[in-house]
Amino acid sequence: MKKFNIKYFIPVSIVILFLIFFSQVLNRDVSKLSSQLIEKPIPTFNMPILSNDDQSFSTSDIADKNVALVNIWASWCIPCRSEHEILMILSKIEGLNLYGINYKDNKDNALQFIEQLGNPYNKIGADINGRSSMVWGVYGVPETFIIHKGTVIYKHIGPIHMNELEDVILPILGKIL
Amino acid sequence: MTIGNLGNLLMLICLLASLTQSLYLLPKKIDIDYRVLSRAPFFASLLAFTLLIYIFVSSDFNYQLVVNNSHSEKPVIYKIAGAWGNHEGSLLLWILVLTIFNFIFSYSKIRPVDFKKNVMAFQSLMIFGFTLFLLFTSNPFLETEITVNEGLGLNPVLQDLLLAIHPPILYVGYVGYSIVLSFAVGGMISNKIDREWAEWLHPWVLIAWIFLTLGIGLGSFWAYYELGWGGYWFWDPVENASLMPWLAGTALFHCVIILEKKNILQSWTILLSILTFSLSLIGTFLVRSGILNSVHTFASDPARGLFILIFLAIILIISFTLYAFKGPALDNKNEMNLVSKESAILANNWLLLSTLFVVFLGTLYPLGTDLFLQKSISVGPKYYILSLLPITILLLLTMIVGPNAKWQNDKILNIILSINKLFIISLAIIFGFSIYFAELQLTQITLLTLCLTLIFVSIKNGLRVNHGYTIIKSSLGQSLAHIGFGLLILSVVGNATFAQEKIFQAKVNDTLILDDHMFKFNSVEQTEGKTLMPLQQLFI
Repeated sequence: MKKFNIKYFIPVSIVILFLIFFSQVLNRDVSKLSSQLIEKPIPTFNMPILSNDDQSFSTSDIADKNVALVNIWASWCIPCRSEHEILMILSKIEGLNLYGINYKDNKDNALQFIEQLGNPYNKIGADINGRSSMVWGVYGVPETFIIHKGTVIYKHIGPIHMNELEDVILPILGKIL
Repeated sequence: MTIGNLGNLLMLICLLASLTQSLYLLPKKIDIDYRVLSRAPFFASLLAFTLLIYIFVSSDFNYQLVVNNSHSEKPVIYKIAGAWGNHEGSLLLWILVLTIFNFIFSYSKIRPVDFKKNVMAFQSLMIFGFTLFLLFTSNPFLETEITVNEGLGLNPVLQDLLLAIHPPILYVGYVGYSIVLSFAVGGMISNKIDREWAEWLHPWVLIAWIFLTLGIGLGSFWAYYELGWGGYWFWDPVENASLMPWLAGTALFHCVIILEKKNILQSWTILLSILTFSLSLIGTFLVRSGILNSVHTFASDPARGLFILIFLAIILIISFTLYAFKGPALDNKNEMNLVSKESAILANNWLLLSTLFVVFLGTLYPLGTDLFLQKSISVGPKYYILSLLPITILLLLTMIVGPNAKWQNDKILNIILSINKLFIISLAIIFGFSIYFAELQLTQITLLTLCLTLIFVSIKNGLRVNHGYTIIKSSLGQSLAHIGFGLLILSVVGNATFAQEKIFQAKVNDTLILDDHMFKFNSVEQTEGKTLMPLQQLFI
């Protein structure tokens, strides 16, 4: 019976290669996780607005704007609450149009959230079943897209923190505003 | 002492006892009483888990985990389920399942004692690793720093009875394969890989397989009615993470039978045993490190990812290196005939592993392009369907032929004779269906005919009686599983062929038309639920 056979080392070698691969993947910067939509025109969507079922928020609202920011949020989402302050700051920037998509939320809770914390948005679309957010490739809330002349140029996953506002978001806006 | 302190103390006991037990793996044998050491972690983690459920049920908002995942007005069942509906709690459940298997194994009559102790020592090493992980990065008993009066609740989509019981069942299977890995490692160290080893392993593989199958089934059923996109399987990375060990485990299950009956394929069986639980661990790494995004993933934390990766590396490198050195001496030289039950099973093994390869590649490919090309891509169902279609056809064929072939040596003609009638009947049914109801394409006809043949052949085999005119239990189980697979593919093909989806924007009183059917959107109602107000859309 053979005692040593190089063939039997193949599995362990493959395993080590994968472990190295995993460690590399783990090291990568998750915040750079890009979106399918980057450099692409905004997706086609249409949804009623939060305060009034008869009016709608759709692609045409954003398409003709020079700079727009779309923020996906929900009243049940805790990080959204902390992010709201940042959005209030952003809403004061001239030339920047802020839009909200209210994701899988209860209408009353959502309206109460806005009443309590202020409304930074020009328009809020209500996406009760999450269907419209699907076309945006939403992973979870909050997520924020920066749109320049109808093209998505940046996607931010998770709440925008103060340092990210200063280091990432404002420089991008500065270039296009 | 607060409940949290008690919980931490219990986990510390679990940590130390399992560490001591795992020392048996060292070359210099320290003889310690394995009974106490393998049972203490079980009782400790069982009690800790009970405490965790208790703080959830009593809505004790002194604990961060309860604040983040529960709400005082939630029904009790969801409070309980809340205990494992999060990263920390589910990790405790992981540990509990690991210890349950070690606990039950400690009562088995398996000999030699040295082999038994090695198995338990390796299992304890894994318990130790996960307990360390729990205590340092994911402690469920962390107290809140500020006073909180109310919890944040559980995501409404997750408040569902089926989903509440889905994780524990899935875990018994998913984590249950750990004992299989311990069997392989213990067997290699004690040089005890033979027929008897396979016989002992058999029931454990079966139990893990049944629970994993059930768990995946429940999850898929939940997705079907709750997510409501008419889908039941989304090739989501986390679904794939549970599918991969299932595929390897299914291959293993068949292979153990060959080893048991024919005493061949030792090293191959060992490789599959290691692979199955390795895939469970890799899946856990992918899900809990936050490198993959999906509806299932827990909040990400780089420290956690690094810890699991190191632990994963230790377990995988130990097992596979041991295999590299012990493997060559394991196999009995035994020629296999091409036409025999064992070669049909081996062919089925390769097909299952090809499926595994397709799924593995599809899951990791986006990570690869992301890393090497800085480009995000997503792998969709089309990739899986196209790659798996030919494999499925071959798989169905081996499943029809395999159970009817004899061990060792058989004649092709005998096999064909035993199934030809059923095949012709199936073909006639499908052709009839195609002519009178809906026209089918060649691939669909092939798939459906094979499914139907498989179902008929399996029914026939399941009803086979032995000399005492009683149904043979093992062949009944096999038949049921094969019938289940046949029905599954049958319905998958049926669904793919006949389902229609169209997305509308609709307001109340709008009318939608799809082919010959007219749907009227009547009203939207909010029904009083205990915790949430489900929206009901009523259609006629």
